[in-house]
Amino acid sequence: MSARALAGLLGAFAGAWVGTVAGAPLGTPVDVPVGTPLTVPAAAAGAAPAASARRYATVLPGHALEFPRDFGSHPQFRTEWWYVTGWLQTRKGELLGFQITFFRTRPDVDETNPSAFTPHQLLIAHCAVSDPTRGRLWQDQRIRRAGLGLAQAREGDTEVWIDDWRLQRRGADYSARLAADGFALNLTLSATRPPMENGQSGFSRKGPAAESASYYYSIPQMQIAGSLTRAGKTDPVVGTAWFDHEWSSDYLDPGATGWDWIGINLDDGGALMAFRIRGAGGETRWAGGTLERPDGRVRTLDAADIDFTPARRWLSPRTGIAYPVVWHVRAGPETIDLEPLMDDQENDTRLTTGAVYWEGAVRALRGGLPVGRGYLELTGYGERLRIR
Amino acid sequence: MWTPPEARGAVTDTPVLHIEGLCRRFRADRPPILEGINLTLRQGEYLAIMGESGVGKSTLLNLLAGLDRPDAGRVVLEGADLSALDDDAATLLRRRAVGFVFQAFHVLPYLTVEQNVALPLELLSMPQPERGRRTAEMLDAVGIAALAKRPARELSGGEVQRVAIARALVHRPRLVLADEPTGNLDPRSASQILDLLRAQIKSSAGAGILITHSRTAAETADRILVLDANGLGPRASA
Amino acid sequence: MAARGTGGSFTVWWVLVVAQLREQPVRLLVTVLAIALGVALGAAVYLTNTAALAEFGSATKRLFGDADVVVRGPRDGYSEDLFVQLARDPAVAMASPVLELEVALPGRRDTLKVLGLDPFRAAALQPALIGEIGAHLTELLAGNGILLSDSAARELDLRRGGTLPVSVGSGTRILKVLDVLSPAAYPQPLGLMDVAAAQWAFGRIGRLDRIDLRLNPGVDAERYRRDLAERLPAGVLAVAPEVERDRAVSLTRAYRLNLNMLALVALLTGALLVFSTQSLSVLRRRRSLGLLRALGVTRGQLQRALVGEGAALGALGALLGVVLGTFMAALMLRLLSGDLGNGQLRVLGVALHLAPLPMLGFCAIGTVVAGFGGWVPARAAALQPAARSLKGGDQDYTVGHSSTLLGVALLSAGAALAFLPRLAGLPLFGYASVAALLFGAVLLVPALTAWLLKLTPRSGRVVLDTAVAQLRGNVALSTLSLACIIVSFSLMVAMAIMVYSFRDSFDRWLGKLLPADIQLREPVGNDTAFLSDGDQARIAAVVGVGRVEFRRTRQLYLDPARAPVTLVARDMPGPPADNLPLVQSAPPQLQTGASAAWISEGFQDLYGYRIGDPLSLPVAGRQARFVIAGIWRDYARTTGAVVITRRAYVALSGDRSATEGSVWLDGRASAAAVDAGIRSALAGGGTLEIFASTAIRERSLQIFDRAFAITYALEAIAVLIGLAGVSFAASSTALARRAEFGMLRHVGMLRRQVVGMLAGEGILMSLFGVAYGLALGAVLSLVLVYVINRQSFNWSIDLAVPWWQLGLLSVTLVLAAALTAIWSGRAAMSAEALRAVREDW
Repeated sequence: MSARALAGLLGAFAGAWVGTVAGAPLGTPVDVPVGTPLTVPAAAAGAAPAASARRYATVLPGHALEFPRDFGSHPQFRTEWWYVTGWLQTRKGELLGFQITFFRTRPDVDETNPSAFTPHQLLIAHCAVSDPTRGRLWQDQRIRRAGLGLAQAREGDTEVWIDDWRLQRRGADYSARLAADGFALNLTLSATRPPMENGQSGFSRKGPAAESASYYYSIPQMQIAGSLTRAGKTDPVVGTAWFDHEWSSDYLDPGATGWDWIGINLDDGGALMAFRIRGAGGETRWAGGTLERPDGRVRTLDAADIDFTPARRWLSPRTGIAYPVVWHVRAGPETIDLEPLMDDQENDTRLTTGAVYWEGAVRALRGGLPVGRGYLELTGYGERLRIR
Repeated sequence: MWTPPEARGAVTDTPVLHIEGLCRRFRADRPPILEGINLTLRQGEYLAIMGESGVGKSTLLNLLAGLDRPDAGRVVLEGADLSALDDDAATLLRRRAVGFVFQAFHVLPYLTVEQNVALPLELLSMPQPERGRRTAEMLDAVGIAALAKRPARELSGGEVQRVAIARALVHRPRLVLADEPTGNLDPRSASQILDLLRAQIKSSAGAGILITHSRTAAETADRILVLDANGLGPRASA
Repeated sequence: MAARGTGGSFTVWWVLVVAQLREQPVRLLVTVLAIALGVALGAAVYLTNTAALAEFGSATKRLFGDADVVVRGPRDGYSEDLFVQLARDPAVAMASPVLELEVALPGRRDTLKVLGLDPFRAAALQPALIGEIGAHLTELLAGNGILLSDSAARELDLRRGGTLPVSVGSGTRILKVLDVLSPAAYPQPLGLMDVAAAQWAFGRIGRLDRIDLRLNPGVDAERYRRDLAERLPAGVLAVAPEVERDRAVSLTRAYRLNLNMLALVALLTGALLVFSTQSLSVLRRRRSLGLLRALGVTRGQLQRALVGEGAALGALGALLGVVLGTFMAALMLRLLSGDLGNGQLRVLGVALHLAPLPMLGFCAIGTVVAGFGGWVPARAAALQPAARSLKGGDQDYTVGHSSTLLGVALLSAGAALAFLPRLAGLPLFGYASVAALLFGAVLLVPALTAWLLKLTPRSGRVVLDTAVAQLRGNVALSTLSLACIIVSFSLMVAMAIMVYSFRDSFDRWLGKLLPADIQLREPVGNDTAFLSDGDQARIAAVVGVGRVEFRRTRQLYLDPARAPVTLVARDMPGPPADNLPLVQSAPPQLQTGASAAWISEGFQDLYGYRIGDPLSLPVAGRQARFVIAGIWRDYARTTGAVVITRRAYVALSGDRSATEGSVWLDGRASAAAVDAGIRSALAGGGTLEIFASTAIRERSLQIFDRAFAITYALEAIAVLIGLAGVSFAASSTALARRAEFGMLRHVGMLRRQVVGMLAGEGILMSLFGVAYGLALGAVLSLVLVYVINRQSFNWSIDLAVPWWQLGLLSVTLVLAAALTAIWSGRAAMSAEALRAVREDW
C-alpha cells in the first residue's frame, strides 16, 4: 500500500501536473498514504532534516473528541481530511453520486523559514460527480500550500478552502462550493444528528500496530440542498450525504496494500460504515465499522463483525483492472448487497498521478430490495499497473 | 646624344640580313618546318617570298625579326648574330633596325594616327621636335597627313595599312618586313599600298622582304623566292 | 520566328556557356565562389539567428508557459501582497508567484538564473517546466534544495546530491542539488527552487518580482492588462508574455541586421563580379555573338542566353553558398553561442534547424542577383548591331549621360536618407543611404574616370603614355574592374574608420569611467550579491585604501516593451563632467541637488528625453522626481542607463548596499596588497571581483578587438573578391589585347616595357580606385558613425581616422592591383602570344 501510494503521490507531482490534479490516492477518505511518502523521499535522499514521527502528534486511545474544536483542523497531526459523499437528485429525477475531499498534510519543511510561502501545510482537494445518464465521471483536483489566506484549514471549526473551493460549517449546516473543470457543486449540507464517533469514541484502529490509528467521526444522513452545474447548465439538487472527518499521524502499517470502504445511509435513518484493510495477498489485515440505528444507538464493529465478499467484477476497459463492484457485505447484524450506480466510476489519473482507483455511488440492497444509498471505495487493485 | 639609326648602319658594306643553315622545328616527332634556309639580303634589295599556307613563312619571319630562335643555323641582322643575343638585345636591335607591316591592321586603336606612327620614334627616344617633324614627313609620304589627329579606330582598312607602313618606316629601319600587307584589302587599295611600300623601301636606305602568296603582289618586288618543303629557292620556271 | 523557341535559346546558351567554361574555368569558379560566399554568409547568419531565436523563444515559452499576463517589477521586486491581491482577483484563474533572480556564484563571473516558484501554482502555467520536479517535490518544499537544468548542471559541473554555493550579500549560502532535470525540460541554464526557500535563501522575504497570471475564459487579456497597469505600484508592469519574448529578441535585432548587411555586401560584390565577368566576356565574344546574330539568333534569345549565363553562375554559387552557409552556421553554433558572440542572447546548445524554404529563398536571391549582374552587359550586347560586332573593332561602351545623372541622383538621395530617423527601431534609412551612396558613386565612376584621364598630361614617357592612352580608350572596361574594387574598398575604409573611431572613443570612455586604481564589482546583472554598509566600511578601512566610492546599480522597468534601464546610484564628487563622460550638460544650477539625474545617450534615444526635462523614476516602489541634468555616453548598456546621486538614492530607498566600487590607493600601497586586504576584510569576498583599472581597460579593449575581428575578416574577404574582380578584368583585357602586345613587341617594345605599361595601367587605375574608394569610404563612414551606429546602438562615437592603417591598406591595394595586371600581362605575352599578331581577330 505505501509503495503504491508513494509512487502515486510522487507521480502526482511528477506528471505534467496540470494544476487541477491532486494526488490520486486521496479522494479516498481512508486514504492516508500521502502522509507516508512525504517523509520517505526526504529520508532516502538524506537531504531534508531527519524525519521523525515524534514531530507529529500521536493518535492515542482514550482521548475524547470535543466539538466544535475537533470540527476544525489539527495541524499537529500529519494528515487530515474532510470528506463528503452522497447521492443527488435533480428535479427531472436524475440520480447522481458526488464526492468532495479536502485533504491536509503537513510536509517536512524547515519551519524556521519566515517566508509566508513556507509550506507548513499542504492542502489538496478532489471532487467528482458520477453521472450515469451521461455515463461519465466528472472530476477535478487541486493542491496548494496553505497560507497567505489563499488556502487554509482553520482550527476550531470546519473551514477549509483552496482558492475558491471551500467547505465550511455554520451551525448544523455545511456549505460546499467547488467550481471545477466543467462542473460545479454548490451544496448546503444539513446535519440531522450529532457526529457519529467511530471506533472507541473516535479512536479508530487501522492495523495490528498500536500506532496505526486515527481520530475519526462521521455525520451520516445529511440533507442536501443546492445546485449542480454540468457543462454550463445548472440544476437544483437535493439528496443525502455522508460526512467524514479523520486525522492521524501513522495510518497504515507497511504490510497494507489497499482497502475496501463503505459509508451507507440506510433508508430507515440508520447508517453503516465499514472498512477492511487488505494485505498483499488480498487477505484482510484489519477491519472495523460503525452501525448507527435510526434511534441513535451506535454499535462499534470489530474485525470479526465484518466480511467483504466480492460478487461481480467490472473490468476497466481503460486500465484492464478488475474491480469487484458488486459486493456482499456482512457488518455485524447487517448483511447487505452493494450495487453500483454505474460500473464505471474509476478515477483514472494515470496520466497525471499514476494512480487508478474506484470510488463510487452504490445502492445497498437486502434481499433484492433497496435499503440504503452510499459510497464504496476500492483502492490497491491496480498494483500490476506500472506506475511511473 | 641621340644618333639617327641610319647614320650608324649606312657606312658599312655588310649585308643587311644574312641567313645560313636555318632550321626550326616545333615538335621533335615531326620534320622541321624550316630546314637549310640560306639567304643574303643587301642594302636596297626588295625581295618577295612566296609560299603556300603552312610552309613556314610566318616562322621564317619571326626568326628574321629575332622573335623566335632557330634550332640550327644563324640569322645575322646588321652584322649581329641574333641567336647570340638575349631577348632584350634582340628587341633593341629590332626596335632600331626592323620595321613591320602586318596583314591584320595592327595599330593601337585608341591612339591617333600621328601617335601610332610616332611610336617607334618614341621607343627610340627621339626628342621633339625632331620626332614630330619626322612623323609629319612620313604621314605626308604615305598620303595620310590629313588624318594625323584622327583616332586610328576610325580609319578604313586601306588607311590603317598606310599608317602601318608609315610606322614601319618612320625610324628608317635597315630592314622592312611586310607580312601579307594587302591580304585584307581590295585590289585597288592593295596595289596602291604595294606601290607605296616599294617606294618607301627604295627611298630609304634599307632592304625589304615582302611575304605573300599573291603573285601580283610578289611581282612588285625586285626578285622572288619561293618557300616550300625543299627550302627557299628561286621561283620554279614555268 | 521559329528561332524564338526555347530550344534555340538553350542551344545558344549551351554553346556560349560551354565555350566560356572551357576558356575561363578559374574565373568562372571564382565568380561562383564569390556568389557562394555572399549567399553562405547570409544563410549562415540567418540560420544561426533563427536557431538561436527559436531556442530562445522556446526557452521563454517554457519560462512563461501559458500565462496571459506577466506582472513584472523592478529587479529588487515588490511586496507579495500584490500576489495575494491578484490571486483573489475574480478575473484571474491562476496566479503564480515567482522570484526570478540572477544569482551570483562564488568564483564565477556569470550568474545563474534561478526561479523560485510555487510548483502547485506554476504547474498550471508552466507544465513543461514543472513536470519533472514532482519526484523531488517534498525535498524541494523542505527548503534549501535546488533543481538544476541539464545545461546548468553541466556548466557548473554538478550532479544530483552536489552542493551549489551562492553569493548572497557578501556571504555565501549552500544549496543542495536535488536533481538534474532532463535536457528536454528546459534547455538553458536554470535553477528551480521553491518560492519560500528562495525568499529565505536570497534575503527576499516578503518580496516577489514576477507574477504570472492566467485569466478566466472570457476575460479580455489586453483590457485586463491595461486596467491592471493602473492599479500596480510604481515600477511594476503588466506585460504580455510575448513582450517578454520579443524584448530579448529585439535586443539583438540591430546586431542581426548589421550582420545581414555584411552578407548583402558580399552578395553585391559577387553580383558586381558577375557583372564585370559577363561584361568582359561579352566584350571578348563580341564577334561570336555577332556571328550568332548574323546566323539568325534573335536579340531576345541572345539576351536571355547571356542573362541565363549569369543566372547559372548565380544558381551554382547560391547552391554552394547554402551548403557552405549551413556548415558555417553549424560551426558558429558550436563555437560561439547563438547570439553570434554579441552576448545579448544567453542561449546555449542551440541546435541547427534546417530551413528548406528560406534556403530556397537564398538560392533565389543569389541567382537573381547574379542574373541581374549579367543582364546589364547582356542587354548591351544584344543591342549592339550585329554588323558592328562582326567587324569586331574595339568599340567601347560609351559613357552614358543617363547613368551619370542617375549616379548624381542616387548620391543626393543617399545624402538625404542619412538624415532620416530610424524605422521600426532599426537604422534602415541609414543602410538605404549607404546603398544609394555606393551605387551612385559607382555609376559616376565612368564619367569621372574619363574626365580624369582627359586631364592626365602626357608624360613623354612612351610606356606611361601608352598606358594612359589605353585606359582612356577603354573607360568602360576599366570601370568594370574598378567598380569591384571601389565598392569593396570603400566599405572596408568606412568600416575601418568606424571601428577605429569606436575604439578610440571607447578607449577614452574607459579612461573616464575608470579613474581610480582599483575597481570592485559584484557580477553584472546579479540580484543577490552586494556589499552591505558594514562591508563598505571594512573596505574603506583596509590599509592602503586612500579613497573609495561605492555605486549601487538597479534594473528598472520603465516601458513594458523595452529591456530594463539600469539605475546607477553613485557619488558625484566635484563637477559631474569629472565623473561622467558627459556629451551634453544642463546649466550648473541643475547639476547639483538630489533631483539631478544624468541619462545615457541610449536612454535619451529610447525614451526621448532632453536636458532639463523632468524624469520620474520608480525607486523603492515610489515614483521619484528628477530633472535631467546631463547626457552621458555609455558603451556598456545599449538599453539605457540613468545616474543619480547615491545620497538621493539612499534617501529614497533606505538601501545603503552597493554593487560596485572604485578605490584610489593612498600612494604607497600596491594594488595587489590592497586586493588581498579587501578580500581578507570581507572574509573571502564571495563573488566580489577586484581588478586593477588598467587590467579592465586592457581586457575591455581585447574584447572589443575580438568582437570586431569577424567584421574585419568579412571585409577582408570582400576586398579579396574585389581584387579578384580586378584580376579578372586585367587578365581578360590582357587576353583581348594579346595582338596589341604582340605588335608592340614587334615594333621593338621590350618585354619589361610591355609589363611596365600594364603595371602602369594597373597602378593608375588602382590609384584612382583607391582614391575614389577612400573618398567614398570616408563619406560612408560618416553615415556608419553618425547614423547607423547611433541608431543601432544608441551611443555616439567621435570620428577618428586611422591614417596609417588606411595608407597601408591603400598601398597594398595599389601594389596588388599592379601585380595582378602584370601577372595577367605576362600570361598573355607567352611566346605563343606573339603569334597573335597574325591572328585575325
